[in-house]
Amino acid sequence: MKSKSSSTEAIALIDANNFYASCEQSINPNLRNKPVVILSNNDGCIIARSPEARALKIKMGIPYFKVKESLNNLGVAVLSSNYSLYGDMSKRLMNLLKDYSEKIEIYSIDEAFISILRPKDKNLNPWARKVRCLIYQNLGITLTIGIAENKVRAKIANNLAKNIDSSAGIFDLARIYNDNDYLRKISVEKIWGIGKQTSNWLQSKGIKNAKEFRDMDEDEIIKKLGIIGKRLQMELKGNKCLPIEIIKKPKKEIQVSRSFGKPITKLEDLTQALAIYAIKASEKMRSQSLKSSAITIFVRTSHYSNHPYQKSAYKKLINATDNTSTILKTVIALSKEIYTPEYKLSKAGVLMQDLTNCKYLQQSIINYESQEKSKKSIRLMKTIDSLNKKFNNEVITWAITKKPQEWAMNRNSLSSGSTTDIRKIPNIMI
Amino acid sequence: MKIPLLSDSVSAGFPSPADDYAEENIDLNEHLISNPFSTFFLRVKGDSMINSGIKDKDLIIVDKSLTAKPGNIIIAMIDGEFTIKRLSIKNNELYLKAENHKYPDFSFRNHIDIQIWGVVIYSIHSYL
Repeated sequence: MKSKSSSTEAIALIDANNFYASCEQSINPNLRNKPVVILSNNDGCIIARSPEARALKIKMGIPYFKVKESLNNLGVAVLSSNYSLYGDMSKRLMNLLKDYSEKIEIYSIDEAFISILRPKDKNLNPWARKVRCLIYQNLGITLTIGIAENKVRAKIANNLAKNIDSSAGIFDLARIYNDNDYLRKISVEKIWGIGKQTSNWLQSKGIKNAKEFRDMDEDEIIKKLGIIGKRLQMELKGNKCLPIEIIKKPKKEIQVSRSFGKPITKLEDLTQALAIYAIKASEKMRSQSLKSSAITIFVRTSHYSNHPYQKSAYKKLINATDNTSTILKTVIALSKEIYTPEYKLSKAGVLMQDLTNCKYLQQSIINYESQEKSKKSIRLMKTIDSLNKKFNNEVITWAITKKPQEWAMNRNSLSSGSTTDIRKIPNIMI
Repeated sequence: MKIPLLSDSVSAGFPSPADDYAEENIDLNEHLISNPFSTFFLRVKGDSMINSGIKDKDLIIVDKSLTAKPGNIIIAMIDGEFTIKRLSIKNNELYLKAENHKYPDFSFRNHIDIQIWGVVIYSIHSYL
Protein backbone atom coordinates (compact mmCIF):
# COMPACT_ATOMS: atom_id res chain seq x y z
CA MET A 1 0.00 0.00 0.00
CA LYS A 2 1.70 3.14 -1.16
CA SER A 3 0.54 6.26 0.56
CA LYS A 4 0.59 9.78 -0.77
CA SER A 5 4.25 10.67 -0.41
CA SER A 6 4.22 13.13 -3.30
CA SER A 7 3.27 15.88 -0.85
CA THR A 8 6.33 17.78 0.33
CA GLU A 9 4.96 18.60 3.74
CA ALA A 10 5.66 16.04 6.44
CA ILE A 11 4.40 15.84 10.02
CA ALA A 12 6.77 14.87 12.82
CA LEU A 13 5.69 13.84 16.29
CA ILE A 14 8.55 14.70 18.60
CA ASP A 15 8.51 13.53 22.19
CA ALA A 16 10.98 13.45 25.05
CA ASN A 17 11.93 10.06 26.43
CA ASN A 18 11.29 9.55 30.16
CA PHE A 19 10.80 13.29 30.38
CA TYR A 20 10.56 13.84 34.15
CA ALA A 21 13.44 11.51 34.93
CA SER A 22 15.53 13.06 32.13
CA CYS A 23 14.96 16.57 33.52
CA GLU A 24 16.25 15.46 36.91
CA GLN A 25 19.24 13.63 35.41
CA SER A 26 20.04 16.57 33.20
CA ILE A 27 20.73 19.02 36.05
CA ASN A 28 22.04 16.50 38.59
CA PRO A 29 25.12 14.57 37.39
CA ASN A 30 24.78 12.32 40.40
CA LEU A 31 21.66 10.77 38.87
CA ARG A 32 23.16 10.13 35.46
CA ASN A 33 23.25 6.52 34.33
CA LYS A 34 21.47 5.55 37.53
CA PRO A 35 17.99 4.14 38.10
CA VAL A 36 15.69 7.06 38.99
CA VAL A 37 11.96 7.02 39.67
CA ILE A 38 9.63 9.98 40.16
CA LEU A 39 6.61 9.83 42.45
CA SER A 40 3.22 11.44 41.86
CA ASN A 41 1.86 14.19 44.13
CA ASN A 42 1.76 13.07 47.74
CA ASP A 43 4.45 10.51 46.93
CA GLY A 44 1.68 8.12 45.88
CA CYS A 45 2.72 6.18 42.78
CA ILE A 46 5.64 5.85 40.42
CA ILE A 47 4.91 8.10 37.44
CA ALA A 48 8.25 8.19 35.63
CA ARG A 49 11.31 5.97 35.33
CA SER A 50 14.74 6.48 33.86
CA PRO A 51 15.80 3.81 31.32
CA GLU A 52 17.99 2.30 34.04
CA ALA A 53 14.92 1.94 36.29
CA ARG A 54 12.93 0.38 33.42
CA ALA A 55 15.72 -2.13 32.96
CA LEU A 56 15.20 -3.16 36.59
CA LYS A 57 11.57 -3.99 35.66
CA ILE A 58 10.16 -1.38 38.03
CA LYS A 59 6.52 -0.95 37.04
CA MET A 60 4.81 2.28 36.08
CA GLY A 61 1.90 3.40 38.29
CA ILE A 62 2.73 1.11 41.19
CA PRO A 63 2.05 2.58 44.68
CA TYR A 64 5.31 3.64 46.30
CA PHE A 65 4.69 2.02 49.68
CA LYS A 66 4.52 -1.41 48.02
CA VAL A 67 8.00 -1.17 46.52
CA LYS A 68 9.73 1.21 48.92
CA GLU A 69 11.95 -1.47 50.42
CA SER A 70 12.93 -3.16 47.19
CA LEU A 71 13.75 0.19 45.56
CA ASN A 72 15.96 0.97 48.52
CA ASN A 73 17.74 -2.38 48.19
CA LEU A 74 18.26 -1.85 44.46
CA GLY A 75 19.77 1.60 45.10
CA VAL A 76 17.14 3.41 43.07
CA ALA A 77 17.01 7.20 43.51
CA VAL A 78 13.44 8.15 44.48
CA LEU A 79 12.30 11.73 43.84
CA SER A 80 9.08 13.63 44.50
CA SER A 81 7.77 15.29 41.38
CA ASN A 82 9.17 18.76 40.76
CA TYR A 83 6.72 20.32 38.32
CA SER A 84 8.37 23.72 38.20
CA LEU A 85 11.50 22.04 36.82
CA TYR A 86 9.55 19.96 34.28
CA GLY A 87 7.50 22.99 33.23
CA ASP A 88 10.63 25.08 32.69
CA MET A 89 12.39 22.34 30.71
CA SER A 90 9.26 21.86 28.62
CA LYS A 91 9.14 25.57 27.83
CA ARG A 92 12.81 25.47 26.80
CA LEU A 93 12.25 22.36 24.66
CA MET A 94 9.25 23.79 22.79
CA ASN A 95 11.00 27.11 22.15
CA LEU A 96 14.11 25.40 20.83
CA LEU A 97 11.93 23.28 18.52
CA LYS A 98 10.38 26.49 17.18
CA ASP A 99 13.74 27.25 15.58
CA TYR A 100 13.01 24.38 13.20
CA SER A 101 9.44 25.16 12.31
CA GLU A 102 6.96 27.87 13.12
CA LYS A 103 4.19 25.34 12.55
CA ILE A 104 4.32 23.56 15.87
CA GLU A 105 1.48 22.23 17.99
CA ILE A 106 2.41 21.69 21.62
CA TYR A 107 0.46 18.56 22.38
CA SER A 108 1.53 17.90 25.96
CA ILE A 109 4.32 18.78 28.39
CA ASP A 110 6.74 16.57 26.45
CA GLU A 111 5.21 16.12 22.97
CA ALA A 112 4.79 18.33 19.93
CA PHE A 113 3.62 17.94 16.35
CA ILE A 114 5.76 19.80 13.85
CA SER A 115 5.08 20.48 10.22
CA ILE A 116 8.23 20.35 8.09
CA LEU A 117 8.97 20.52 4.38
CA ARG A 118 10.64 17.51 2.82
CA PRO A 119 13.88 18.27 1.01
CA LYS A 120 14.30 17.35 -2.66
CA ASP A 121 15.75 13.93 -1.88
CA LYS A 122 12.76 13.31 0.49
CA ASN A 123 15.14 12.25 3.23
CA LEU A 124 14.33 13.86 6.58
CA ASN A 125 16.65 11.66 8.63
CA PRO A 126 19.57 14.14 8.62
CA TRP A 127 17.18 16.84 9.87
CA ALA A 128 15.81 14.59 12.61
CA ARG A 129 19.32 13.59 13.70
CA LYS A 130 20.25 17.27 13.96
CA VAL A 131 17.20 18.06 16.11
CA ARG A 132 17.91 15.13 18.42
CA CYS A 133 21.54 16.12 18.73
CA LEU A 134 20.80 19.78 19.40
CA ILE A 135 18.19 19.07 22.08
CA TYR A 136 20.49 16.58 23.77
CA GLN A 137 23.31 19.12 23.87
CA ASN A 138 21.12 22.00 25.03
CA LEU A 139 18.92 20.26 27.55
CA GLY A 140 20.33 16.79 28.15
CA ILE A 141 17.06 15.30 26.96
CA THR A 142 16.73 12.47 24.43
CA LEU A 143 13.98 12.71 21.82
CA THR A 144 12.07 10.21 19.76
CA ILE A 145 10.98 11.48 16.35
CA GLY A 146 8.26 9.84 14.28
CA ILE A 147 7.72 11.20 10.78
CA ALA A 148 4.82 10.57 8.40
CA GLU A 149 2.27 12.24 6.12
CA ASN A 150 -0.15 13.16 8.92
CA LYS A 151 -0.68 13.19 12.67
CA VAL A 152 -2.14 9.71 13.15
CA ARG A 153 0.66 8.07 11.18
CA ALA A 154 3.30 10.31 12.84
CA LYS A 155 2.12 8.94 16.21
CA ILE A 156 2.53 5.42 14.86
CA ALA A 157 5.96 6.27 13.47
CA ASN A 158 6.98 7.57 16.87
CA ASN A 159 5.81 4.34 18.47
CA LEU A 160 7.84 2.36 15.92
CA ALA A 161 10.91 4.54 16.54
CA LYS A 162 10.70 3.64 20.23
CA ASN A 163 10.28 -0.07 19.69
CA ILE A 164 12.61 -0.82 16.79
CA ASP A 165 16.12 -0.80 18.24
CA SER A 166 17.88 -0.14 14.95
CA SER A 167 15.85 3.03 14.37
CA ALA A 168 18.04 5.09 16.76
CA GLY A 169 15.02 7.10 17.85
CA ILE A 170 13.92 8.16 14.36
CA PHE A 171 11.37 6.49 12.08
CA ASP A 172 9.96 7.85 8.83
CA LEU A 173 6.81 5.89 7.97
CA ALA A 174 6.16 7.83 4.75
CA ARG A 175 9.31 6.41 3.16
CA ILE A 176 8.33 2.79 3.77
CA TYR A 177 7.04 1.39 0.49
CA ASN A 178 5.04 -1.44 1.99
CA ASP A 179 4.03 -0.56 5.53
CA ASN A 180 1.78 -3.58 6.19
CA ASP A 181 4.27 -5.31 8.47
CA TYR A 182 4.85 -2.13 10.46
CA LEU A 183 1.15 -1.33 10.86
CA ARG A 184 0.58 -4.91 12.03
CA LYS A 185 2.88 -4.21 14.98
CA ILE A 186 0.52 -1.48 16.24
CA SER A 187 -2.42 -2.91 18.16
CA VAL A 188 -5.68 -0.98 17.71
CA GLU A 189 -5.74 0.53 21.19
CA LYS A 190 -2.36 2.15 20.43
CA ILE A 191 -3.82 4.11 17.51
CA TRP A 192 -4.16 7.79 18.42
CA GLY A 193 -7.79 8.62 19.06
CA ILE A 194 -9.04 5.09 19.68
CA GLY A 195 -10.35 4.71 23.19
CA LYS A 196 -11.06 1.68 25.30
CA GLN A 197 -14.65 1.19 24.11
CA THR A 198 -13.82 1.52 20.43
CA SER A 199 -10.89 -0.79 20.87
CA ASN A 200 -13.14 -3.43 22.49
CA TRP A 201 -15.64 -3.15 19.65
CA LEU A 202 -12.89 -3.49 17.04
CA GLN A 203 -11.43 -6.52 18.82
CA SER A 204 -14.87 -8.14 18.85
CA LYS A 205 -14.95 -7.63 15.07
CA GLY A 206 -11.59 -9.36 14.81
CA ILE A 207 -9.72 -6.11 14.07
CA LYS A 208 -6.56 -6.34 16.13
CA ASN A 209 -4.04 -3.93 14.60
CA ALA A 210 -3.62 -0.73 12.60
CA LYS A 211 -3.30 -2.57 9.28
CA GLU A 212 -6.60 -4.37 9.80
CA PHE A 213 -8.29 -1.13 10.85
CA ARG A 214 -6.98 0.68 7.77
CA ASP A 215 -8.31 -2.06 5.49
CA MET A 216 -11.66 -2.41 7.29
CA ASP A 217 -14.96 -1.77 5.51
CA GLU A 218 -15.50 2.01 5.45
CA ASP A 219 -19.28 1.84 5.84
CA GLU A 220 -18.99 -0.27 8.95
CA ILE A 221 -16.65 2.30 10.50
CA ILE A 222 -18.93 5.23 9.63
CA LYS A 223 -21.99 3.42 10.99
CA LYS A 224 -20.37 2.71 14.35
CA LEU A 225 -17.76 5.44 14.83
CA GLY A 226 -19.10 8.23 12.65
CA ILE A 227 -16.98 10.82 10.92
CA ILE A 228 -14.26 10.67 13.59
CA GLY A 229 -13.61 6.99 12.89
CA LYS A 230 -13.66 7.65 9.17
CA ARG A 231 -11.05 10.39 9.59
CA LEU A 232 -8.77 8.08 11.54
CA GLN A 233 -9.01 5.50 8.78
CA MET A 234 -8.34 8.14 6.12
CA GLU A 235 -5.22 9.26 7.98
CA LEU A 236 -4.02 5.68 8.32
CA LYS A 237 -4.32 5.46 4.53
CA GLY A 238 -2.05 8.50 4.23
CA ASN A 239 -4.52 11.36 3.71
CA LYS A 240 -4.31 14.48 5.79
CA CYS A 241 -7.47 15.21 7.77
CA LEU A 242 -6.33 16.59 11.12
CA PRO A 243 -4.59 19.97 10.90
CA ILE A 244 -1.76 21.15 13.10
CA GLU A 245 -3.33 23.38 15.72
CA ILE A 246 -0.90 26.19 16.28
CA ILE A 247 -3.12 28.66 18.06
CA LYS A 248 -3.66 27.91 21.68
CA LYS A 249 -7.25 28.28 22.81
CA PRO A 250 -7.56 30.89 25.54
CA LYS A 251 -8.01 29.44 28.98
CA LYS A 252 -11.62 29.19 30.07
CA GLU A 253 -10.92 28.38 33.70
CA ILE A 254 -8.13 28.19 36.22
CA GLN A 255 -8.10 25.36 38.69
CA VAL A 256 -5.99 24.80 41.77
CA SER A 257 -6.63 21.48 43.48
CA ARG A 258 -4.53 19.11 45.55
CA SER A 259 -4.88 15.89 47.47
CA PHE A 260 -4.30 16.24 51.19
CA GLY A 261 -1.39 14.44 52.85
CA LYS A 262 -3.82 13.38 55.60
CA PRO A 263 -7.62 13.27 55.25
CA ILE A 264 -9.45 16.31 56.60
CA THR A 265 -12.37 16.05 59.00
CA LYS A 266 -12.45 19.55 60.54
CA LEU A 267 -14.09 22.56 58.84
CA GLU A 268 -11.21 24.76 59.99
CA ASP A 269 -8.70 22.65 58.02
CA LEU A 270 -10.87 22.51 54.91
CA THR A 271 -11.32 26.28 54.95
CA GLN A 272 -7.59 26.78 55.34
CA ALA A 273 -6.78 24.42 52.43
CA LEU A 274 -9.32 26.10 50.16
CA ALA A 275 -8.03 29.54 51.17
CA ILE A 276 -4.49 28.57 50.17
CA TYR A 277 -5.71 27.25 46.81
CA ALA A 278 -7.74 30.45 46.31
CA ILE A 279 -4.64 32.60 46.94
CA LYS A 280 -2.68 30.52 44.38
CA ALA A 281 -5.52 30.73 41.85
CA SER A 282 -5.74 34.52 42.24
CA GLU A 283 -2.00 34.85 41.65
CA LYS A 284 -2.27 32.69 38.55
CA MET A 285 -5.08 34.88 37.20
CA ARG A 286 -3.16 38.09 37.78
CA SER A 287 -0.06 36.70 36.11
CA GLN A 288 -2.15 36.11 32.96
CA SER A 289 -4.13 39.38 33.24
CA LEU A 290 -7.38 37.49 33.78
CA LYS A 291 -10.36 38.25 35.98
CA SER A 292 -13.00 35.81 37.06
CA SER A 293 -16.69 36.36 37.58
CA ALA A 294 -17.66 32.96 39.00
CA ILE A 295 -16.11 30.63 41.54
CA THR A 296 -16.68 26.92 42.14
CA ILE A 297 -15.15 25.01 45.00
CA PHE A 298 -15.30 21.24 45.45
CA VAL A 299 -14.32 18.52 47.86
CA ARG A 300 -14.33 14.74 47.70
CA THR A 301 -13.33 11.59 49.54
CA SER A 302 -10.68 9.18 48.26
CA HIS A 303 -11.49 7.12 45.15
CA TYR A 304 -10.89 4.03 47.28
CA SER A 305 -13.24 5.09 50.07
CA ASN A 306 -16.13 2.78 51.03
CA HIS A 307 -18.20 5.83 51.92
CA PRO A 308 -17.76 8.12 48.96
CA TYR A 309 -18.83 11.74 49.13
CA GLN A 310 -18.40 14.68 46.86
CA LYS A 311 -19.88 18.12 46.79
CA SER A 312 -19.33 21.43 45.08
CA ALA A 313 -20.59 24.96 45.56
CA TYR A 314 -20.80 27.82 43.07
CA LYS A 315 -21.08 31.56 43.31
CA LYS A 316 -21.46 34.18 40.64
CA LEU A 317 -19.69 37.46 41.34
CA ILE A 318 -21.18 40.85 40.56
CA ASN A 319 -17.93 42.21 39.18
CA ALA A 320 -15.13 40.24 37.60
CA THR A 321 -12.19 40.31 39.96
CA ASP A 322 -8.62 39.20 40.49
CA ASN A 323 -8.44 40.56 44.02
CA THR A 324 -7.32 37.91 46.50
CA SER A 325 -9.29 39.42 49.39
CA THR A 326 -12.57 39.37 47.49
CA ILE A 327 -11.97 35.84 46.25
CA LEU A 328 -10.95 34.64 49.73
CA LYS A 329 -14.13 36.03 51.29
CA THR A 330 -16.26 34.15 48.75
CA VAL A 331 -14.33 30.90 49.04
CA ILE A 332 -14.36 30.94 52.85
CA ALA A 333 -18.12 31.52 52.86
CA LEU A 334 -18.68 28.74 50.30
CA SER A 335 -16.53 26.23 52.19
CA LYS A 336 -19.27 25.83 54.83
CA GLU A 337 -21.64 24.61 52.11
CA ILE A 338 -19.49 21.69 51.05
CA TYR A 339 -18.17 20.66 54.45
CA THR A 340 -19.44 17.59 56.21
CA PRO A 341 -18.03 16.12 59.43
CA GLU A 342 -19.06 12.58 58.54
CA TYR A 343 -16.51 11.87 55.83
CA LYS A 344 -12.76 11.74 55.54
CA LEU A 345 -12.12 14.33 52.87
CA SER A 346 -9.08 13.70 50.72
CA LYS A 347 -9.09 16.30 47.97
CA ALA A 348 -10.42 19.80 47.40
CA GLY A 349 -10.07 22.46 44.77
CA VAL A 350 -10.91 25.96 43.66
CA LEU A 351 -12.05 26.80 40.13
CA MET A 352 -12.02 30.33 38.80
CA GLN A 353 -14.56 30.52 35.97
CA ASP A 354 -15.93 32.92 33.35
CA LEU A 355 -12.48 34.35 32.84
CA THR A 356 -12.05 37.55 30.90
CA ASN A 357 -8.96 39.40 29.87
CA CYS A 358 -8.57 42.58 31.95
CA LYS A 359 -7.79 44.60 28.85
CA TYR A 360 -11.22 44.03 27.36
CA LEU A 361 -13.15 44.05 30.57
CA GLN A 362 -16.31 46.08 30.86
CA GLN A 363 -17.13 47.61 34.19
CA SER A 364 -20.47 46.49 35.48
CA ILE A 365 -23.06 49.25 35.85
CA ILE A 366 -23.75 48.24 39.41
CA ASN A 367 -20.18 48.77 40.45
CA TYR A 368 -20.29 50.07 44.01
CA GLU A 369 -16.57 49.89 44.52
CA SER A 370 -15.38 53.46 44.21
CA GLN A 371 -12.70 54.00 41.62
CA GLU A 372 -10.16 55.12 44.22
CA LYS A 373 -10.68 51.98 46.28
CA SER A 374 -10.32 49.79 43.23
CA LYS A 375 -7.10 51.52 42.17
CA LYS A 376 -5.74 51.03 45.67
CA SER A 377 -6.49 47.32 45.59
CA ILE A 378 -4.84 46.92 42.19
CA ARG A 379 -1.71 48.58 43.57
CA LEU A 380 -1.77 46.37 46.66
CA MET A 381 -2.04 43.16 44.59
CA LYS A 382 0.75 44.35 42.28
CA THR A 383 3.02 45.06 45.24
CA ILE A 384 2.32 41.68 46.85
CA ASP A 385 2.92 39.82 43.60
CA SER A 386 6.18 41.64 42.90
CA LEU A 387 7.48 41.13 46.45
CA ASN A 388 6.58 37.44 46.36
CA LYS A 389 8.26 37.13 43.00
CA LYS A 390 11.36 38.95 44.15
CA PHE A 391 11.83 36.92 47.31
CA ASN A 392 10.50 33.68 45.87
CA ASN A 393 7.32 32.59 47.50
CA GLU A 394 5.01 33.82 50.12
CA VAL A 395 6.77 36.59 51.99
CA ILE A 396 3.44 38.36 52.06
CA THR A 397 0.36 36.29 52.44
CA TRP A 398 -2.90 36.05 54.32
CA ALA A 399 -3.06 35.13 58.02
CA ILE A 400 -5.24 32.08 57.40
CA THR A 401 -2.35 30.27 55.71
CA LYS A 402 -0.05 30.68 58.68
CA LYS A 403 -1.59 28.13 61.05
CA PRO A 404 0.11 24.73 60.96
CA GLN A 405 -1.09 22.77 57.93
CA GLU A 406 -1.45 19.24 59.21
CA TRP A 407 -3.18 18.12 56.04
CA ALA A 408 -0.51 19.40 53.66
CA MET A 409 0.85 17.28 50.85
CA ASN A 410 3.65 14.80 51.51
CA ARG A 411 6.79 15.45 49.54
CA ASN A 412 9.23 13.43 51.54
CA SER A 413 11.58 12.43 48.77
CA LEU A 414 12.36 15.95 47.73
CA SER A 415 13.59 16.62 44.27
CA SER A 416 17.10 17.74 43.69
CA GLY A 417 17.40 21.00 41.92
CA SER A 418 15.73 23.84 40.17
CA THR A 419 16.24 25.92 37.08
CA THR A 420 13.76 28.57 38.15
CA ASP A 421 14.49 29.27 41.84
CA ILE A 422 17.87 30.87 42.50
CA ARG A 423 18.06 29.41 46.01
CA LYS A 424 17.83 25.87 44.69
CA ILE A 425 20.02 26.00 41.58
CA PRO A 426 22.60 23.20 41.33
CA ASN A 427 25.90 23.65 43.17
CA ILE A 428 29.23 22.81 41.65
CA MET A 429 31.76 21.71 44.24
CA ILE A 430 35.18 22.63 42.93
CA MET B 1 16.83 41.93 37.55
CA LYS B 2 15.52 45.34 36.57
CA ILE B 3 17.50 48.43 37.34
CA PRO B 4 15.80 51.72 36.56
CA LEU B 5 17.97 53.78 34.28
CA LEU B 6 15.92 56.91 34.56
CA SER B 7 13.47 57.79 37.28
CA ASP B 8 11.79 61.01 38.14
CA SER B 9 11.70 62.04 41.75
CA VAL B 10 9.36 64.98 41.39
CA SER B 11 6.78 64.47 44.09
CA ALA B 12 4.69 67.61 43.84
CA GLY B 13 4.21 70.67 41.69
CA PHE B 14 4.85 70.60 37.99
CA PRO B 15 5.10 67.34 36.07
CA SER B 16 8.60 66.38 35.04
CA PRO B 17 9.45 67.09 31.40
CA ALA B 18 10.88 63.56 31.35
CA ASP B 19 7.51 62.01 32.07
CA ASP B 20 6.67 61.89 28.40
CA TYR B 21 9.59 59.60 27.73
CA ALA B 22 8.96 55.96 28.42
CA GLU B 23 11.07 54.71 31.28
CA GLU B 24 13.76 52.34 30.12
CA ASN B 25 15.18 49.55 32.23
CA ILE B 26 18.46 47.79 31.84
CA ASP B 27 17.55 44.14 31.78
CA LEU B 28 20.62 42.09 32.59
CA ASN B 29 18.98 38.96 31.18
CA GLU B 30 18.69 40.67 27.85
CA HIS B 31 22.31 41.87 27.86
CA LEU B 32 24.04 38.82 29.25
CA ILE B 33 22.01 35.97 27.81
CA SER B 34 21.67 35.46 24.08
CA ASN B 35 20.27 31.92 24.19
CA PRO B 36 17.77 31.99 27.07
CA PHE B 37 16.36 28.53 26.37
CA SER B 38 19.71 26.82 26.74
CA THR B 39 21.16 28.98 29.51
CA PHE B 40 21.33 27.77 33.12
CA PHE B 41 22.53 29.22 36.43
CA LEU B 42 24.81 27.36 38.82
CA ARG B 43 26.35 28.25 42.19
CA VAL B 44 30.06 27.74 42.79
CA LYS B 45 31.29 26.09 45.99
CA GLY B 46 35.05 25.98 46.37
CA ASP B 47 38.23 27.71 45.21
CA SER B 48 39.71 25.59 42.43
CA MET B 49 39.16 28.34 39.83
CA ILE B 50 40.49 31.21 41.94
CA ASN B 51 43.13 32.27 39.37
CA SER B 52 40.48 32.76 36.72
CA GLY B 53 38.54 35.12 38.99
CA ILE B 54 35.76 32.66 39.81
CA LYS B 55 35.39 32.53 43.58
CA ASP B 56 33.44 30.60 46.17
CA LYS B 57 29.67 31.41 46.18
CA ASP B 58 29.79 33.05 42.75
CA LEU B 59 26.80 32.71 40.48
CA ILE B 60 27.79 31.44 37.08
CA ILE B 61 25.85 31.57 33.84
CA VAL B 62 26.25 28.59 31.54
CA ASP B 63 25.19 28.40 27.90
CA LYS B 64 24.74 24.81 26.79
CA SER B 65 24.17 25.68 23.15
CA LEU B 66 27.81 26.75 22.65
CA THR B 67 30.43 24.29 21.49
CA ALA B 68 33.38 24.38 23.88
CA LYS B 69 36.66 25.63 22.46
CA PRO B 70 40.14 25.52 24.01
CA GLY B 71 40.46 28.49 26.36
CA ASN B 72 36.78 28.40 27.41
CA ILE B 73 35.84 27.83 31.02
CA ILE B 74 33.47 24.91 30.97
CA ILE B 75 31.24 22.83 33.20
CA ALA B 76 31.94 19.13 32.89
CA MET B 77 30.41 16.08 34.44
CA ILE B 78 33.16 13.84 35.77
CA ASP B 79 32.25 10.59 37.52
CA GLY B 80 28.82 11.82 38.52
CA GLU B 81 29.87 15.30 39.72
CA PHE B 82 29.74 18.75 38.19
CA THR B 83 33.11 20.41 37.92
CA ILE B 84 34.32 23.68 36.49
CA LYS B 85 37.64 23.83 34.65
CA ARG B 86 39.36 25.57 31.77
CA LEU B 87 39.38 23.53 28.56
CA SER B 88 43.05 23.63 27.56
CA ILE B 89 45.38 22.13 25.04
CA LYS B 90 48.93 20.84 25.57
CA ASN B 91 51.02 18.79 23.15
CA ASN B 92 48.05 18.62 20.82
CA GLU B 93 45.90 17.03 23.49
CA LEU B 94 42.84 18.44 25.25
CA TYR B 95 42.71 18.45 29.04
CA LEU B 96 40.81 20.22 31.83
CA LYS B 97 42.90 22.71 33.76
CA ALA B 98 42.16 23.79 37.35
CA GLU B 99 42.92 27.46 37.91
CA ASN B 100 44.51 26.81 41.30
CA HIS B 101 47.84 24.99 41.68
CA LYS B 102 46.47 23.02 44.65
CA TYR B 103 44.11 21.08 42.38
CA PRO B 104 44.94 18.47 39.73
CA ASP B 105 44.24 18.78 36.03
CA PHE B 106 42.06 16.18 34.33
CA SER B 107 43.17 14.39 31.24
CA PHE B 108 40.44 12.99 29.01
CA ARG B 109 42.60 9.93 28.62
CA ASN B 110 42.43 8.83 32.26
CA HIS B 111 38.72 9.40 32.75
CA ILE B 112 36.12 7.43 30.87
CA ASP B 113 33.09 9.27 32.18
CA ILE B 114 33.78 12.88 31.20
CA GLN B 115 31.13 14.92 29.47
CA ILE B 116 31.20 18.64 28.76
CA TRP B 117 27.92 20.06 30.02
CA GLY B 118 28.17 23.70 28.98
CA VAL B 119 30.30 26.78 28.47
CA VAL B 120 30.55 29.40 31.24
CA ILE B 121 29.68 32.80 29.78
CA TYR B 122 29.67 34.97 32.93
CA SER B 123 30.35 34.76 36.63
CA ILE B 124 28.70 37.13 39.05
CA HIS B 125 30.54 37.95 42.25
CA SER B 126 29.09 39.85 45.18
CA TYR B 127 31.39 42.33 46.93
CA LEU B 128 29.11 42.73 49.91
